[in-house]
Amino acid sequence: MLVMPPTAFTPARPRPLTDIEFCAWIGQAMPGDRLEYHRGFLGIDTTAVISTLPEPDRRRLAALAGAAHRAFEAGLVHLVQVRLGPDRFAYLAIARTRPRRTPVPLARLIEDAEAA
Amino acid sequence: MYPPISPSDLGTLIDEADVAARRLQRKLVLPAADLDDLRQDLLVDVICRLPGFDKRRGSIGAFANIVLRNQCSRIAIRHHRQRQAQGGTVLSLDAPVAGSAEPLGCLLAETDGLAAWHGQDRCAAADVETRHDLARALADLPEDVRGLCAALGTCAVADLVGRDGISRSALYRRLARLRLELAMRGLGGRWDGSEAA
Repeated sequence: MLVMPPTAFTPARPRPLTDIEFCAWIGQAMPGDRLEYHRGFLGIDTTAVISTLPEPDRRRLAALAGAAHRAFEAGLVHLVQVRLGPDRFAYLAIARTRPRRTPVPLARLIEDAEAA
Repeated sequence: MYPPISPSDLGTLIDEADVAARRLQRKLVLPAADLDDLRQDLLVDVICRLPGFDKRRGSIGAFANIVLRNQCSRIAIRHHRQRQAQGGTVLSLDAPVAGSAEPLGCLLAETDGLAAWHGQDRCAAADVETRHDLARALADLPEDVRGLCAALGTCAVADLVGRDGISRSALYRRLARLRLELAMRGLGGRWDGSEAA
């Protein structure tokens, strides 16, 4: 069972979240901070034809879901969902501790690219 | 008193002043930013001298041409005098200033630099921090995105189109994704918690 510590919790907002806002939140979040980035049924809400959202909102949500998935794959967030009712979930992103890697200066990156 | 200038006469004066300003800027090898100032100075001078215009002696264009030529000559003489006062050359940032062993570039504050003139007034400490943040973010980026960063470090976006068979639209999609990847790592995007609440 996943036990969530009582940390900062930002509920779903009246104004829809965009992918760049979500990424900016990840960039500034402390480990354990949580953000509810969608409420509904993400798989259906992002799929064309069956989604009940207007097309611009569906596209925005699909971009947001893509950004969340990339952040998860990069090890920056945990993605969890809380069941609210039948076919209705709160989708949460929980900030993780940043992976530590050796910094790569831009000058060295350019040198390596030119040498290759 | 000289009667009000007609719109056509004013148009002639503006055109003549514009041509004279461009010629003077080119001859004195002045920066492009000085062109507007030169044009303004020349136009004001020719308007101030309009009471001396006698239409029986020639057209207003010819009058403006003579006045502007004389004023250009005065500005050029003043400019050459200032250059000679600086040793006859443009000051170098690497050359030491008189009475000091330090080069001029070391004595200028960040706020005197060209970047500050263009609204990029940043202190050295902030620059170092940004460089460290960037190095950390680059280390964390996926390999393909990192390659794009390296390419952008040496080429303009227009030069990357067509390289490795990448189309313009695909390149802009990758740039949009790069923006998100950097924002995830604390670069670029800003999250305002109070605005979000």
